[in-house]
Amino acid sequence: MDSNTSSSARSNDTARWNHAARGPWDRAASAIPGLLLTFALLGPVQAGAQTDVRTGIHASGTVKSPLLLARFRAEGSAQGAADEARAILRRDFELSGVFAVADGEPLREKLTPDPGQSGSVRVEGAVEQAGAGFRFTGEVFDLGTAESVFRRSYPFAQTESRAAMHRFNDDVLEALTGERGIAETRIAFVRQDGKFKEIWVADYDGQNARQLTHDRSLALSPAWAPWGSEIAFTTFKRGNPDLYLFDQVRGASYPFSTRPGLNTSPCYSPDGKWIACTLSRDGNAEIYLISRDAQTARRLTRNERIDSSPSFSPTGREIVFTSDRSGSPQIYVMDAEGANQRLLTLEGKYNDSPQWSPKGDKIVYASRHDAVFDVIVMDSNGQNSVQITYDAGHNENPRWSADGRKIYFSSSRLGKRQIFMMNPDGSDVVQLTQGEDTFNPAIGPRPRRQTTPPTSG
Amino acid sequence: MGEPIMRRSPSIATLALAVVLAATLVAVGCSSSKKVSTTPPPPPAPDQTETQTSPPPPPPSSEGEAVEEKTSSLQDAFFDFDEASLRADAKTALENNARFLEGHGVAKAVVEGHCDERGSVEYNLALGERRAKAAKDFLVSYGIAAARLTTISYGKERPFDSGHEESSWSKNRRAHFVSK
Repeated sequence: MDSNTSSSARSNDTARWNHAARGPWDRAASAIPGLLLTFALLGPVQAGAQTDVRTGIHASGTVKSPLLLARFRAEGSAQGAADEARAILRRDFELSGVFAVADGEPLREKLTPDPGQSGSVRVEGAVEQAGAGFRFTGEVFDLGTAESVFRRSYPFAQTESRAAMHRFNDDVLEALTGERGIAETRIAFVRQDGKFKEIWVADYDGQNARQLTHDRSLALSPAWAPWGSEIAFTTFKRGNPDLYLFDQVRGASYPFSTRPGLNTSPCYSPDGKWIACTLSRDGNAEIYLISRDAQTARRLTRNERIDSSPSFSPTGREIVFTSDRSGSPQIYVMDAEGANQRLLTLEGKYNDSPQWSPKGDKIVYASRHDAVFDVIVMDSNGQNSVQITYDAGHNENPRWSADGRKIYFSSSRLGKRQIFMMNPDGSDVVQLTQGEDTFNPAIGPRPRRQTTPPTSG
Repeated sequence: MGEPIMRRSPSIATLALAVVLAATLVAVGCSSSKKVSTTPPPPPAPDQTETQTSPPPPPPSSEGEAVEEKTSSLQDAFFDFDEASLRADAKTALENNARFLEGHGVAKAVVEGHCDERGSVEYNLALGERRAKAAKDFLVSYGIAAARLTTISYGKERPFDSGHEESSWSKNRRAHFVSK
């Protein structure tokens, strides 16, 4: 069935996706157990249905949970560090997409319960000198019950307030919603450097960007290993598009697949034991699984057209990918052994760059329509396609954040391509990078204690 | 054994043919000035009104100027968007290339596949490879030894023209020949 799919089964080029509307993933805050269960009845903050003129993004009324962030208490020389830390935390809370952040003064007296503010939280912080550095203590109160729901201290060196605030942000999100935030995750991307293209890495919000490869060639398509310290990528540094693995602990890269022809489009399996990729050693682009120890290669696709851009489902049992076997690129899915290949996309003539969401329920991809590219989210069975970028240059390379609450993508809306982040309904678009042409975002996992690859077994 | 010798000292007939071919190409309208680029302009696109103002393709490697001169006489084959099938004008260019290679029995070339800027890095690397292979297969079917032609895809990453309109894109969707 996979090779006989007729393009006539799809609608014409003026595909009509449902415009971004409230879906089950809009109501991020409604997942907050207990604490915020009732907030929908009691005064949620509406982000407002409005269009940002510059970005052309239609905000869609994402419901957010009110959060009052108090000025941090500090004494003497700790005041500067406190102000800096609070600014970082404020941005983290805003970027989370979960909170509507307001500013306030620190508590002067004990809170009293206010059922009318059920679902709202207050965050208090204090920074004090601790040895050569500082200690931040943060506490979260449920304004409805006036009870402290989270409190923790974080020592940090003068230059590490960013890391401490990212950790507190992620801890707070875990405590309130059951799902950690992504402020501790990192991203990679490709940036033009003269006639070269190199891999860069940065914090989740584009800060602390630094160049990873210095191949002075074309380095492309980064993909993070699930254990976080390794990035697979394609490089032309030896002339051919080869797959290399960059070990961020050692600060060096190693050849992984240097077969004749293409060695491109890497994606790790969730258990880290396999890398799905595109090889053309058999004559044209086919998807392969190569074991992380490079001992085994298993071919998954067999046809005379292009098969590329594999992405594992979170269970590792299925792979979504791009194929132009029907005559133009479309999104297909198959079992991880290569069986049961079938077309997923029912709309659009040109669909590419699929990625499975971390929870498995959605697939995001880029679609070309009316001579522009936009980001589409659909159910993982191919139903309910929703276009989430509009009227703002080309929007491509969509990639889920580790928690599925955000989608990163590259956009040419302001000229050269840059990395942006948005909610999965297209709201809250934020630009994360500036400067030279920047694309191919890849999203790292949450930090783990494990920094080594799994042993094969 | 004979190959390196030929690279350094091509016969007078070889050079003469190369010069004649290059001159012919210039005469039919190539505006590029550098010796490396005798690439002909692409066939006119329907709405193409701009003149070619882009820089020449990447500089050649330093080995063997004579060989470079020969293989740079090989014409680009151009493609439609998201296509790797050979258009009539591409076949004409490749037939010329085949005849040229027939007359230069040992010259080797790399066939580079290129794409315009639209679409993903990964898909275009695969598409560029299909284009390079389509060009190579045509030459091989014409009788050129496959061992003389290697292919590589640069996808959309090494555009000939950095513009963002069809007039640029049409030049970038190509199989390009470089001496080896």
